[in-house]
Amino acid sequence: MSSSSSPALRVVNLTKTFGGAQALKGISLEIVPGEIHALVGENGSGKSTFVKILSGYHSPESGGVVEVGGAALSFGDAEASQTAGLRFVHQDLGLIDELTCAENLAIGRGFDTAFGRRIRWRREHEAARAALASLGYEIDPRRPVGHLSVSERTAVAIARAVSVHGGQTHVVVLDEPTVNLPRAEIQRLFRLLRLLRDRGVALIFISHHLEEIFELADRVTVLRDGEVVATRPVSELDHDTLIEAMLGRALRTVRGDVRSDVGAAVLTVRGVSGEVVRDVDLTVRAGEVVGVAGITGSGRDELARLVGGGAPFVGHIDAGGQPLRPNRPDLFIRAGVVSVPAERKANAALPEHSVRENLTISDLTPYTRWKVLRRSAERSDVRTLLETFHIRPTLPEQPVDALSGGNQQKVMIARAMRLEPRVLVLDEPTQGVDVGAQAELHRLVRGSLATGLGVLACSSNSEELSEIADRVLIMRGGQVVDELTAPLSADDISAATLAKQKETS
Amino acid sequence: MSTTEATAAATQESDRDVAIPARRPRGRVVPRLGLDRFSGLYVLGALVLAYGIWLPDTFLTSETARSVADGQAIAAIVALALVVPLAAGAFDLSVAATLGFSVCLVAWLQGHHVNPVLSVLAALAVGIVIGAVNSFVVVVLRVNSFIGTLGMSSLLAAASYWITGGQTLIKGFSPDLLRAGRAQPAHIPVTVLYLVGTALVLWFVLEHTPLGRYFYAVGANPRAARLAGLRVDRLVARSLILAGFLSALGGAILAAKLGLGSPDVGPPYLLPAFSAAFLGATQIRSGRVNVLGTLVAVYLLGVGVKGLQLAGAPSYVSDLFNGAALIVAVALAARTSRASRT
Repeated sequence: MSSSSSPALRVVNLTKTFGGAQALKGISLEIVPGEIHALVGENGSGKSTFVKILSGYHSPESGGVVEVGGAALSFGDAEASQTAGLRFVHQDLGLIDELTCAENLAIGRGFDTAFGRRIRWRREHEAARAALASLGYEIDPRRPVGHLSVSERTAVAIARAVSVHGGQTHVVVLDEPTVNLPRAEIQRLFRLLRLLRDRGVALIFISHHLEEIFELADRVTVLRDGEVVATRPVSELDHDTLIEAMLGRALRTVRGDVRSDVGAAVLTVRGVSGEVVRDVDLTVRAGEVVGVAGITGSGRDELARLVGGGAPFVGHIDAGGQPLRPNRPDLFIRAGVVSVPAERKANAALPEHSVRENLTISDLTPYTRWKVLRRSAERSDVRTLLETFHIRPTLPEQPVDALSGGNQQKVMIARAMRLEPRVLVLDEPTQGVDVGAQAELHRLVRGSLATGLGVLACSSNSEELSEIADRVLIMRGGQVVDELTAPLSADDISAATLAKQKETS
Repeated sequence: MSTTEATAAATQESDRDVAIPARRPRGRVVPRLGLDRFSGLYVLGALVLAYGIWLPDTFLTSETARSVADGQAIAAIVALALVVPLAAGAFDLSVAATLGFSVCLVAWLQGHHVNPVLSVLAALAVGIVIGAVNSFVVVVLRVNSFIGTLGMSSLLAAASYWITGGQTLIKGFSPDLLRAGRAQPAHIPVTVLYLVGTALVLWFVLEHTPLGRYFYAVGANPRAARLAGLRVDRLVARSLILAGFLSALGGAILAAKLGLGSPDVGPPYLLPAFSAAFLGATQIRSGRVNVLGTLVAVYLLGVGVKGLQLAGAPSYVSDLFNGAALIVAVALAARTSRASRT
């Protein structure tokens, strides 16, 4: 990082207030060309506000300056951000599944056309192939994006970001690009990002997975409550000091609690098959957390849906001796098997509904008399839930969309726990949730084991499984192939999910 | 697609990490929302005031008030019928056709000297059957509700022509039935009383029973609702059956009021119903179709049109007004939801 080159991005005294609350309190930082700069902070620390200012979605208060490659950026204008050389790859990638790679790349840039606005398809495809190859990906540009693997899709999105109509790319902002990536594909993405860095592009990398930051980033900036608390080379930090900087306190470890006694079977799965899942047997007992690990395509996520009642299957699932009908979440819930699905926005949250309505929707009978809803009973129940699950802010009438990701997830878990389930099925319980809230969610789940609850937790995050689970089932090719028991380590779990692939390929 | 869904689609953006709304100060947001939520009432007041000054002799009369109230009552019942499936995220384009068929059926039964009470009950039963068929098409055959009910509305138009022979049926209406549709107890048109009754019941169902809460949840996110344990298919079916019943009720009242049945009566009620339901979604409970908002919207549109007509505007002003209102309402709803997120 030579001091002679002008910074790729210089931010001075950026402040943003929404209503009365300060989201950013005078942020300053510099990022040099050819550096991977991680941006970390809990949900609500101001990361996304900062990114939204860069992308031209929000305007900061006067006094703030952003320079891209030495030129001042005009605020509140997405096009100005684009021409200045800022590029964004959002978590959802913004690709159109039905269109081919080449078509997706052409969106925003425009097609290469000949006489009569005829698209020069051959040249388009050639250009697309070359753009992807330069990032280390061999992908047929004629394939619809929907058929690609997650890391290939990410590559297409990055290729599109860095190739947008002319103009130099100074900074690429990657907002949680690894969230949906299996571990093996993360490495591939990292190679791509290093390639970009070596071309002199500055990268801002946002991730909740700290080990990724240590592996990839050169420097890291920590945001807390809208302030920069540190900007340091990654080599000067370790896992714990970074977490302390983010939280402003040391992290309490989850597994200090006494392991609860494991009781009778509360959930029995026998010979269950679905689309990918093949002939799975498993048992969850009262008072234990059974983790399920597996890479994408292993059937891990489908298993969560099957056992939660949200997908069709053949075979037998019974809860406390009661057989359950496939694909009927309502019957599963009535039998005490309650699930918190992955991808909250698509599968769990009721948008533009209040926190209260989101919490109570699964069962309104306690508040119903003669078919009439009694709001007062509902409200007092909701107040208790907000307290028990530490949902902040404690405003029951606020739309759920207004909460931070971690708090939204707590609402979803509270919705399930309120039903006093015998079995809780969690699918990616802390996806997109910051470290502090993650630990809190884990504590909440483990804390309720004493009541005789059994938990099945499916997660792509080995770290999480090692913290929350008593034993971990390993899935490969739709089957449970291994079981790890305490002491669990994230590395062992990750290694086990990959084991067979290493042998064969 | 409900308005919530429509506006959500119009304003898709990442909701993770929303840093600030978590501590959104209530002081600034609530008054602004308050203005939005009741803006329809303010506009209604302003319209009455403006027309009152402009046309003091014709507009500010009890006759005009009665005529607007009476004229819009049926439209309001159709709009309320539509609110139910919209809340549950389903379109029902057959509400006006159901109303029209119900009018024709009552007129035909009257022409065959059927007891008026039986005639009305038959119309209501047919409304329920129409809703059930819609449900079957949407829930079991998985036809998009927009398309399925569009088809149903054409089927019903055909059925209306068939039973009336394309004629206007005026014979044999029982005087009791006509009285039930034309009475004015205490100078209030009886249709307004039917509307008030219907609105009260529906408001109660949507706002104060689990069923209403379930409808809105299904409309907001059917996948989430299903995984949270709601019987989504059954709820959508119920909403369509309720819509069929309410539309047929409107038709029975309209038949009693008009004393005739004709295949041309129903169809014009479709667009105003949509205008009112969507405009209503910007009112009272911003972002959701709702009973009170719909009533405000119906009368806002009714007063607007009435004043212009009294001032000598041509009859097509009504179509103009309703069409514009539909577009503006949906655009407004999209804007409101965007504004409330930043």
